[in-house]
Amino acid sequence: MHIPDGFLDTKTIVATSALSLLGVGRALSVLKTRMSSRKVPLMGLAAAFIFVAQMINFPVVGGTSGHFLGAVLVAVLLGPSEGILVMSVVLIVQCFLFADGGVLALGANIFNMGILAALGGYYLYRLAAVLIWSERGKFVAVAFAAWFSTVLAAVCCTGELAWSGTVAWSAGFPAMTGIHILIGIGEALITTLVLAAIYAARPDLVSIGMAPDAGGEARPLRGVLINGSLIIIGLVLFVLPFASHWPDGLEKIASVFGFNSKVLSRPLVSSPLSDYRVPGVGSLPRATALAGIIGAILVFGISFVLAKIVISKPKGRVP
Amino acid sequence: MHHDFLDRFARLDSPIHRLPAVLKMASALLLVLTVIITPLRIIYPFPAVALFLILIIALSRVPALFFLRRLLLFEPFVVVVAAASLLQPAGGMTCASIIIKSTLSLTTVLLMSNTTPFTEVLGVLRRIHVPPAFLTLLALMYRYIFVLIDEMQRMKRARLSRTFVTRGMRSWRSISMITGQLFLRSTERAERIFAAMSARGWK
Amino acid sequence: MTTAAVELKNLCFAYPDNRLALQDVSLRVEAGESVGLIGPNGAGKSTLLLHLNGILPETPSEQPSVFIHGVPITKSSLRQVRREVGLLFQDPDDQIFCPTVYEDVAFGPRQFGLPEKDVKDLVKEALLTVGLRGFDMRSPHHLSSGEKQRVCLAGILVSRPKILALDEPTRGLDPRGKRHLLSLLQSISATKIIATHDLELVVELCQRAIVLDEGKVVADGPVLTTLSDEELMLAHGLEKPHILRHSHPH
Repeated sequence: MHIPDGFLDTKTIVATSALSLLGVGRALSVLKTRMSSRKVPLMGLAAAFIFVAQMINFPVVGGTSGHFLGAVLVAVLLGPSEGILVMSVVLIVQCFLFADGGVLALGANIFNMGILAALGGYYLYRLAAVLIWSERGKFVAVAFAAWFSTVLAAVCCTGELAWSGTVAWSAGFPAMTGIHILIGIGEALITTLVLAAIYAARPDLVSIGMAPDAGGEARPLRGVLINGSLIIIGLVLFVLPFASHWPDGLEKIASVFGFNSKVLSRPLVSSPLSDYRVPGVGSLPRATALAGIIGAILVFGISFVLAKIVISKPKGRVP
Repeated sequence: MHHDFLDRFARLDSPIHRLPAVLKMASALLLVLTVIITPLRIIYPFPAVALFLILIIALSRVPALFFLRRLLLFEPFVVVVAAASLLQPAGGMTCASIIIKSTLSLTTVLLMSNTTPFTEVLGVLRRIHVPPAFLTLLALMYRYIFVLIDEMQRMKRARLSRTFVTRGMRSWRSISMITGQLFLRSTERAERIFAAMSARGWK
Repeated sequence: MTTAAVELKNLCFAYPDNRLALQDVSLRVEAGESVGLIGPNGAGKSTLLLHLNGILPETPSEQPSVFIHGVPITKSSLRQVRREVGLLFQDPDDQIFCPTVYEDVAFGPRQFGLPEKDVKDLVKEALLTVGLRGFDMRSPHHLSSGEKQRVCLAGILVSRPKILALDEPTRGLDPRGKRHLLSLLQSISATKIIATHDLELVVELCQRAIVLDEGKVVADGPVLTTLSDEELMLAHGLEKPHILRHSHPH
């Protein structure tokens, strides 16, 4: 999902860069005030780990293989701000050394895969974990959050591409987001399996990240508000205008922000894909959205089953 | 995604390699900016940039084949998105724009990173006052990528020596176990590194 | 009595899981001595070394048991102690944490706030001492074990410590690497405490041997007599080194 240079237009570059700078800057300042210097080598190594982990091939059908992002894994193990920093460092090194993701597109990539994926996934995990109390339940929450983080990042990525006029939303949304609904399952699976392996050897490591006060912030609520605002601004800018296909309420909100959905729907109308109608559901984007919701419920259910298969009760394992 | 061995050409010797890092970084940035911001209908900068890049590549002694291979790696994604953009009314222009701009930018960045050792890049970043904590993260990450790759290799080989199933859930489980192990070893190593850093006076 | 370079007074240490690692360890090392710290695996050798520059205990204790040149190791004396005691860790990869050799050797002096010009000279000198002239820009990943070991040593020697604490310095070295290291260590006049399984190194380099087992000092005496005591050696998971089995005319 690394966006190369040449795909985003100037205004998108500026907007995403600003948001990323804010997010990363804030994570840095949070860590500076509360972090013990002990965490620095830990984060550096975590970044190296994520980098290497992203290179690992998980065999899928035929010769293809899946890969894994790791944003939620890091955020859950180390904390949300740490997660942002670790992912940013990984993305920057990937960009500079491999041109994996464009230089000017760094802002967008960091926002999607660093901030949205790590933060969004982490908050969803915390929310889900609150609802499910058991030890095993936490893994369900992680699996779901990992899936969600992938889809969220893909949705925003699609929005950025559409905002830049590169790919029409009606084509991009079903394709990119649709694919990532599936890829997200892999992410959920891998994240859960890896976390389980870590838990089996060092349950204490996993519990620390899952503690209610993880994240090291002095005023957690303020942190949630600020981080949440970043996420919301991003979504409003990049996703909301296109979601105007959906309920009229949203369309009204979009027009409040000055996005004339008619202007944007012009390319959508002439794109052959936008004429495609899924029987009984409507346009492709709407079908995708529906698939997403169904997928979410399915993944949640699968996660339960997964957790049962993967996690054995820790009682007998503590040395 | 398969990655070439990170920046093996970064320490060659050539007129380009000998240039100061800050010059290379600034030029690369300027080139990419120009390429991105200029709309395609103003055609003349693009061939000019392409020729310039070809010249620098020749001078840098980095094999041209390397660039071609890396470009081919990324092209599928570019081509797919470019094809998707064709679905729009002004699609042709967008499509061409995507392909040309991304190829030129990619080559520029690749050229810069393969003629500039990463430590020099960090040095430049330090001078423009990027927060030191962030730079330490970058440096540590870069230093230990190779170490972790080695560890991963060793574990992978050990696993392959005892594996007969290469796909399906079982292989995902064992690969994930190794990945989990890698994380654990990394955290333990981080503790030792912290001790080593403290031992030499780090705060 | 002159101030010892290193003095441990009834040092006790337990790991968080209540494993007792050191029990009532008391010893004195005088300035300039070379002491070999030997014992079976798990005896507590590495743990002891980590106490010599205050890495352990993690929170400095109210009643310190470790004194470096007479100064107790407390929170306030940590910085000073770390200048005086150079600690070499077991795995060079843990110790070389900067992307180039130069950066890594320069780490110590930079931490102590020295001006860059001085740092440059010190690094150059340290690399020369360990025989790695010209290695400044090398990436640590491409070095051999022996070269990495020497980089680590340079990184410590650069701060001119008066006491060297080395944890398994010859591990993973080939015979040539060992010879280099040995002659290097012989040329350095600092007080040396070396935790090792390499008994031949102890015989060649040290005058005194301390045997540690299960966190307790079980023997402390001249190298030749201690290491020749077969019964003692076997009782503590060691054995008499070959170099002492066959009589040497020198």
